[in-house]
Amino acid sequence: MNILEVKDLDMSYRTIDGEVEAVKKVSFTVKEGESFGIVGESGCGKTSVAMSLLQLQADNGKITNGEIIFNGKNIVGLNEAELREVRWSGISIVFQGAMNSWNPVVKIGEQIREAMREHYPDKTKDENTKKIIELFDIVGLESSIIDRFPHELSGGMKQRAVIALALSCDPKLIIADEPTTALDVVIQDQILKEIRKVQDVLGLSLIYISHDIAVIAEMTDNMAVMYAGSIVEMGKTSKVFSDPKHAYTRMLLESTPSIVGPKKKLRSLDGEPPSLINTDPYCLFSYRCPNPDDNCQNRKIEMKLTKIDTDHYVDKCCVNCG
Amino acid sequence: MYKYVFRRVYQLIIVFFLFLVSSYVLFDAIPGNAFQNLLLNPDLPPEAYEQVIKLYGLDKPLSERVILYIGNFFQGDFGYSYKHFPRTPIELIAERLPRTLMLFAMVNIIAFYTGFLIGKILAWRRGSKSETWITVTSVFSYTIFYPWWALMMLWFFGYKLNWLPIGKFLYPEKWYDAPYDSDVIFVSMIKFTLVVSVVQILVYIYTRNIESLSLRRNVRFISLSILAILSILYWNSGDLAIQKPYAMDIAYHMILPIFTVTVVAFAGTALLTRTTMMEVMKDDFILTARAKGLSQKRIRDRHAARNALLPVVTSFIFTIVTIIDGSVLTETIFSWPGMGQLILDAVLEEDIPVAMASFSFIGVFALIAHFIADISYAYLDPRIRIQSQG
Ligand SMILES: Nc1ncnc2c1ncn2[C@@H]1O[C@H](COP(=O)(O)OP(=O)(O)O)[C@@H](O)[C@H]1O
Ligand SMILES: [Mg+2]
Repeated sequence: MNILEVKDLDMSYRTIDGEVEAVKKVSFTVKEGESFGIVGESGCGKTSVAMSLLQLQADNGKITNGEIIFNGKNIVGLNEAELREVRWSGISIVFQGAMNSWNPVVKIGEQIREAMREHYPDKTKDENTKKIIELFDIVGLESSIIDRFPHELSGGMKQRAVIALALSCDPKLIIADEPTTALDVVIQDQILKEIRKVQDVLGLSLIYISHDIAVIAEMTDNMAVMYAGSIVEMGKTSKVFSDPKHAYTRMLLESTPSIVGPKKKLRSLDGEPPSLINTDPYCLFSYRCPNPDDNCQNRKIEMKLTKIDTDHYVDKCCVNCG
Repeated sequence: MYKYVFRRVYQLIIVFFLFLVSSYVLFDAIPGNAFQNLLLNPDLPPEAYEQVIKLYGLDKPLSERVILYIGNFFQGDFGYSYKHFPRTPIELIAERLPRTLMLFAMVNIIAFYTGFLIGKILAWRRGSKSETWITVTSVFSYTIFYPWWALMMLWFFGYKLNWLPIGKFLYPEKWYDAPYDSDVIFVSMIKFTLVVSVVQILVYIYTRNIESLSLRRNVRFISLSILAILSILYWNSGDLAIQKPYAMDIAYHMILPIFTVTVVAFAGTALLTRTTMMEVMKDDFILTARAKGLSQKRIRDRHAARNALLPVVTSFIFTIVTIIDGSVLTETIFSWPGMGQLILDAVLEEDIPVAMASFSFIGVFALIAHFIADISYAYLDPRIRIQSQG
């Protein structure tokens, strides 16, 4: 069963310089209990995708096309009240800057209970508190944290509490948008393990977003590689890693140190990601492509994911350019 | 926390001491004084001259007088008014202060409440037409030339429409056979306002932890209704039933000055709330609150406005400090015989003991307000609460 199906999603921000097309024709599906990764350089539109799923994009952002079918129902164009029901009890999110996700003047426990109250108004305070303690136990926090203010916690503790918060209303799908970026390396690793564990134990579906392809390898079953607002390669994580087709995917892989396997020379990412204002429908990576073929140079083939193997799709332009 | 409070008190005492000394020295530096005029009176026999000088201690050098003054000050002795001898500055202040406090306490409560409410809504509806218009209006009333505005209001409501009284703070003809002095009535009114405010704050604090939103709203509504009924009963009981018509007369005279000052005073709070709240709304935790599926109203009040409250409360407390000195203009225009007029007269006529006592009073008032600001800041912001424990 698919918990989430995104079809041809377009989202753009209106700015004084023109429309920033941050999400272009993005389609992917997430199965129940699966962990789906989205990887790409910063600025390629990962957060924009995540925000579109909850329809919490900035005020100047608008979904212009496409469907988001969550739990069998298209949630694009729902009104505010209907969306509020989907949020948190359907789809919850661990934000990029999760350190600042807490209101500084309200106790942690109250901020979690507040969400539970909204979605399960019949539960008593004691029931809610009991559940929070259980969740804290899962993410490795002491129950006394309930009565703490955010500034009394360390970064790692805050982040664990954010995960507990995201779990509090029994969501079917959790989005984790670079949840460890602001943390130091040791804590990062612990948090990753925590998320993995939670996902296993509770059988949740997860969308894991990161700019670090190594983390995606560790965390996900299936993955998509995003470049300049579009998905350029998608498939089983193991396949994408063992047989990357798109030149951009290879570039990402070569820029990441591999923990296992032979030592090789690291390459940094050459070139800059393109501007997303008023783009054309052709492959935007061709300008950076290390060994472009005729397709790339002519820029005549419209972007479209093509199936090249079971569970492995790559952009048409780049099928042969590697 | 106690250590923190203690340290603050200690600092305040030193500041106040410096304030007293410098005020005294400054007043002394004013060339000529009312006292001199008194002495130049040709009818005053030379023996009396010496005696009066001695009585006031004016034959001593400045340094000695400062020490003497401060010594007397802390024993509660402020001397006698030059102008209204033999009344003491304390008597004069005790008569004037309730009038000013009543007027400006009302203005500030109304201005703060409406200002915060409007600022909150402005920030929440940013970009809309109504927001633009109300913001422009607020900026206008914030920057308006106040004396002109006050005179216009007097002219319009008092003269043109003839709805509201001008030039008095009560109808003297009503008070000829009044069993009470106006000060007594003022004091009753202040006491009442104070009790009502405190009860409201207590209700708010004690209902804060009620889990269910609708229950909390109902409890608050019921307690406020009870408060309203009790107030009506209170004003109809015993002594107060007699005071009531006089209190109503004063209240009627207060409408115009309250309205005029509030229109100017609320705008500052509204604009400050709007700006701070728009800043807060950019914070990540607002996004979290929206993602949690909370209602717009709850996000606005609980998360955005609650965090914007801090700077607004501070600025509000600092405006309270300026009540008395700020009242000079208003009281002159509306012929409201309060502290503002007392100070103005004392300074113009160089009635130094009264001026000194009034200024020290403002000083004490300001320092206490700052102290309350510090404490309430610690209460509103848990981050400060922790630091201050050290
Ligand atoms: N509110 C906004 N207004 C205009 N442009 C935006 C806004 N938010 C993001 N963008 C632009 O959209 C693109 C995608 O951003 P984002 O989704 O944050 O990427 P990522 O999460 O992959 O780093 C970037 O070019 C960014 O500058
Ligand atoms: Mg991002």
